[in-house]
Amino acid sequence: MPNSEDFDIDSLKKTWQDQVISDGYDQNEIESMLNKKSRNYVKYILWISIAEFVIFGLINFLALFSTDFQTDFTSILNKLQIRNQNEVEFSLDRIYYWMKIFSLIITGVFVVIFYLNYKKINVESNLKKFITHIIHFKKTVNLFIFSNIFLLILFIASFTSFIVFTIKKQNIHIDNPTFWGLITGVIFSLLICIILILLYYKLAYGILLKRLSVNLKQLEKIDSEKI
Amino acid sequence: MENKQKAFSKLIKDNQGLIIKVSRLYTHSLEDQEDLFQEIVLQLWKSYDSFQGNSKISTWMYRVALNTAITLFRKKTRQPQTDELQDFHSKDFLEDNDEKQQQISLLYKVIKLLPDVERAIVMMYLDDEPYKEIAETLGITEVNARVKMNRLKKILKELMIKHA
Repeated sequence: MPNSEDFDIDSLKKTWQDQVISDGYDQNEIESMLNKKSRNYVKYILWISIAEFVIFGLINFLALFSTDFQTDFTSILNKLQIRNQNEVEFSLDRIYYWMKIFSLIITGVFVVIFYLNYKKINVESNLKKFITHIIHFKKTVNLFIFSNIFLLILFIASFTSFIVFTIKKQNIHIDNPTFWGLITGVIFSLLICIILILLYYKLAYGILLKRLSVNLKQLEKIDSEKI
Repeated sequence: MENKQKAFSKLIKDNQGLIIKVSRLYTHSLEDQEDLFQEIVLQLWKSYDSFQGNSKISTWMYRVALNTAITLFRKKTRQPQTDELQDFHSKDFLEDNDEKQQQISLLYKVIKLLPDVERAIVMMYLDDEPYKEIAETLGITEVNARVKMNRLKKILKELMIKHA
């Protein structure tokens, strides 16, 4: 029957250090490992982030650079019986132009920040710094996506308010169901988009970053414990 | 390049005990253990150029091995339930006839019941790494590393009595 002295960590130090490693590898086995592929979370996050960049960048560019929009917009103006359509379209073109510039600047800035944050991830850092840098890196991508969502909302909002403003200015009478149908449709599609994106993030974060956050919290807890 | 690979693999072979211990402490199956060993070796190889002589071998190896095990590694097998884990370790433990080997098996069994960061503190402490080194590897203060380890000693003792 072992006594409690046998379970003292300090007295077990020597036993631990002298443990025989029976399942070791020889030099050739180690060398052959160097040609194998790495399978790790950062690589996984990097590929997902690049895919997110491409997908959201494309959505944003398609929305802002699509030529179909011009035709769709003209037909909406016709349906709403708005007069001086050339003047109205010219004003909208200007809003459009500045949004394209703004969108290009945002994407450019984020690509640079994304690269710089990725370079900061160094496996030789201490654990806390390592986890923090991975989380920062992922947050850059999230910020890029949220800024794109913001840009799309801004775009749709300015488009809608522009139409409403023109209708009021030209004293055009449209029946209530058409007007409210337009507004409700815009708000509803926006809400669906936002909910889907947030749901994706909840899932992506839950799976990928849960372990990181748990360990970061553990480290912070150790440092905040009362001595 | 070939010479560099040879020098590196020799360095790993001579110091593989540390990597094997980390791999055993952070996995629950032999397959994952081998995969983690390989992933740590790959990460050490990637950072070999920046290491060469800049710090102690053990400092470099602990940082890379623990960062890989705690943060980077994607396990293939799912985390076993507590009772499955108990069975796995009890089997291991019963097969060990040598008293020292039994103590080591018991140590692995109880350390694996701790959260990831605490496992790292205990392992480095058992390997006789100074508190300064433990604190710097994990990014916590030296005082807190010491306090945490003192609390962990009591917890581990209780766990060992319970699982012996």
